Amino acid sequence: MGTTASQLDKDLLSEYQELTFLTKQEILLAHKRFSELLSKDERNFENTRVSMERILTLPELKSNPFRERICHVFSTSDQKNGSLTFEDFLDLLSAFSDSATLEIKSHYAFRIFDFDDDGTLDCGDLEKLVNCLTGETDDTRLTTDEMRQLINNILEESDIDKDGTVNLSEFQHVISRSPDFVSSFKIVL
Amino acid sequence: MEPQRQNSGYHGNQQSLRLRQASSPASNQNYPHFNWNSGPTEEDEVDGSETQRDLRALGLPLGLRRAVWQVQQMKIPVVSSSDSWKLKRAKTLRTIRTRGREVLSFLTLWKKTLQKIGGNFGGGVKSYFLFLRFLVVLNFFSFLLIGGFVLIPSIVLTSLDAQLVNNTEFWWQPELEECLEYDPNPQGLVRFYDYLLDLLSGTGFMESSVLFYGYYNVKQGSYNLPLAYLLTAVFYFAFCLICIIVRMGTAARVAVATGGGAVGNYSSIVFTGWDYGCLGDRATKLKQNNIRYQLKVDLEEERLKQQAAALTTTQRLLLYSLRVSMFFLALGFIAAALYGVAVATENSQGRSGDEGILGLIFEYLPSIAITAGNFVVPLLCDQIASVEKYPPTITIILALLRAVVLRLAGLIVLLSTLWSQITCHGHTTSGECQPCHYDHKNYPCWETRIGQEMYKLTLFDLLINLATLVLAEFPRRLLVDHWSNKLTQWVGRQEFVVPANVLGLVYGQTVVWTGALFCPLLPLINTVKFIVLFYCKKLTLFQNCRPAMKTFRSTTSNFFFLLVLVLGLSIATMVMIYSVAEIHPSMACGPFRFFPNIWSIVPNSLYSLSDVTQEFLFFIGSQAFSIPLFTLSCVVMCYIIALASVYGKSVALLRAQLKAEGKDKQFLVKQYEKLRQQLQIPEHSRGP
Repeated sequence: MGTTASQLDKDLLSEYQELTFLTKQEILLAHKRFSELLSKDERNFENTRVSMERILTLPELKSNPFRERICHVFSTSDQKNGSLTFEDFLDLLSAFSDSATLEIKSHYAFRIFDFDDDGTLDCGDLEKLVNCLTGETDDTRLTTDEMRQLINNILEESDIDKDGTVNLSEFQHVISRSPDFVSSFKIVL
Repeated sequence: MEPQRQNSGYHGNQQSLRLRQASSPASNQNYPHFNWNSGPTEEDEVDGSETQRDLRALGLPLGLRRAVWQVQQMKIPVVSSSDSWKLKRAKTLRTIRTRGREVLSFLTLWKKTLQKIGGNFGGGVKSYFLFLRFLVVLNFFSFLLIGGFVLIPSIVLTSLDAQLVNNTEFWWQPELEECLEYDPNPQGLVRFYDYLLDLLSGTGFMESSVLFYGYYNVKQGSYNLPLAYLLTAVFYFAFCLICIIVRMGTAARVAVATGGGAVGNYSSIVFTGWDYGCLGDRATKLKQNNIRYQLKVDLEEERLKQQAAALTTTQRLLLYSLRVSMFFLALGFIAAALYGVAVATENSQGRSGDEGILGLIFEYLPSIAITAGNFVVPLLCDQIASVEKYPPTITIILALLRAVVLRLAGLIVLLSTLWSQITCHGHTTSGECQPCHYDHKNYPCWETRIGQEMYKLTLFDLLINLATLVLAEFPRRLLVDHWSNKLTQWVGRQEFVVPANVLGLVYGQTVVWTGALFCPLLPLINTVKFIVLFYCKKLTLFQNCRPAMKTFRSTTSNFFFLLVLVLGLSIATMVMIYSVAEIHPSMACGPFRFFPNIWSIVPNSLYSLSDVTQEFLFFIGSQAFSIPLFTLSCVVMCYIIALASVYGKSVALLRAQLKAEGKDKQFLVKQYEKLRQQLQIPEHSRGP
């Protein structure tokens, strides 16, 4: 099962509607944009995998500081190179869509922020996260003192069990108290 | 299980224990476990939508979700006919709901524009445009309401050339003859530019048009126009109130659920601060600057707070006395502005008969005074705020409050000045107000005059906005872009200040509500005005502005905007109640000319209904009905308050439980360590 040449057939479309949070128009638009990333001969194959570099040419992802993490999280490739099939792409859009629930968004946000993929956010993850948020260049980073003060504050506020890391439930607790998360964790084509 | 532990970081963290499975070859991936044996057939009732939600809410890739779905589909053979019917019904309901949502999103106004604005300038600016869109839709539907019940019947009756009702059986005295003198049509030769002046000030040919109260008359026919006029106005206010409260409900629900969010500021900025809708390098860099600025400011504020706590008593006394004096100074500025508005209104009424441009300026004097006050006083208050040295959040709230008080108080002063002139400063039976109970020499048709004032305020507001755009914002951008020196770099590009703009909208809407009784087409004019404003503000946003450095919390501020709107609505309601109940309607014009006050049309029409209806309505108004109703509402309100407090307590309880769970984990880990040391078990890699 996969995408056929240039059209998505009806059964597949309704199946995607069942399995994701996307509407019919959104799925069709995603299919169109994904096909534009493929070269002419690749379009005829089913289940083509698009490399991360090509995915990152999409304007919605191009300047996102978390773009590489997003591709790694949603990728189902065995080589862990961040390449996406069309279904991975739909997964991505579904998690970032309007109607996705808070649980699914916070689940994926946690995985995106977990830079070393160990299941918790420790000081290293938090430092990389803050650097992504403020900008990677030297004059946009926080000073070492500020970074230390900030990470201490974050751990003090959100690390409930005091193990020095933020796990998924602590993360979801912080997220649930923020009313803007659902509307800002959104990518719409 | 052991060798797979390194990659299986998400084992225990996923949804709930029932999803865990003992062991599975699929566990070497970074995916949560899924229990293949559980499914919807376990429960007694089959709820199709729950299944679908569970499926989509799994953090698995699409391929695995499809496999689960297929397994579930295969597992529903033994379903009774009633259950299968329920399934089908749930499925059709779901399709209808998704289809309905698609149609609604198609019909939503300006969806793409708002998305672009949110992506480039953030949630705060987007909330302003969402508010503006809400007001446009509200005004449009209000116009449909007024048009259907007042405008169209009036036009139809006029075209049918119905007889003018002459209710002389009402109290009629010959000395009231002079109260009937009123001729709004221009006399003699009309110069061509008079039409433009009339358009801008609502006089002349505009005055006798359908725009103002004076056009509507009591005509013969089965349609009771006066009653329709009054009841439409009442329903209009009720409709607006309901719309606003519904919208506030959604905002309030979110605000309550998140419990303020004062604690945990840093974590929420870092974990939820990024806007994934940002498009392009420029927006991303600006957002990053924004977040960095906010973090630095918060860290700095924390350090300052630690310093402030170390202030000596004398320093603290000095600071507090400074704050008190600044408060009175701000109050003084506001009072001075209001006095200016009162003086301007009085002078304007006296000199508005002047010819030409000078007359126009005098007509617009109140509007000019209000706008000048709204421009100058906030600037002064900003300077005061820099002396007061409050924490930044309190400074913003204080500035907003001051601006709100100024704007709405200015409007109230304008209206009270007008009224005191119409009712001869309250003495309706002496002096100028002798025969007619209102000043008939200066205001032969006072309702139209008030309608004209509101019309002028609306128009002037729009003109000022357009003028600021053309004369201040575009030149500023051109200067900053093409002439770079220290001064222009310091001034910089325009910043789109959300609170001030929102207050402008609230003020405009309050003016419309106040004037709606006297100028029925005002909601339509306001719809057009807000649509023009939307496109102008969008233009200035994209061409001239840079995003604000300080972020603006969009959800809590939405609630605040709507609250201020309700305040404006209540002021307009008070105005309407006063006009309807207290002041004598003009005898020379309007549908209420034969009544002692506007409200008396309702009792009069009541008597023409059948006896049964009359008795029923009197019963509803009597104490035998209203006191039990009042008691019942009190009981319902107490129940809702109790419910709300229970939910608040559950939230606090669950939070405490979360903390306790953490402490339990710590305790168990310590016990494990102790035990391990006692039994000298060699250490191996620990699980989650």
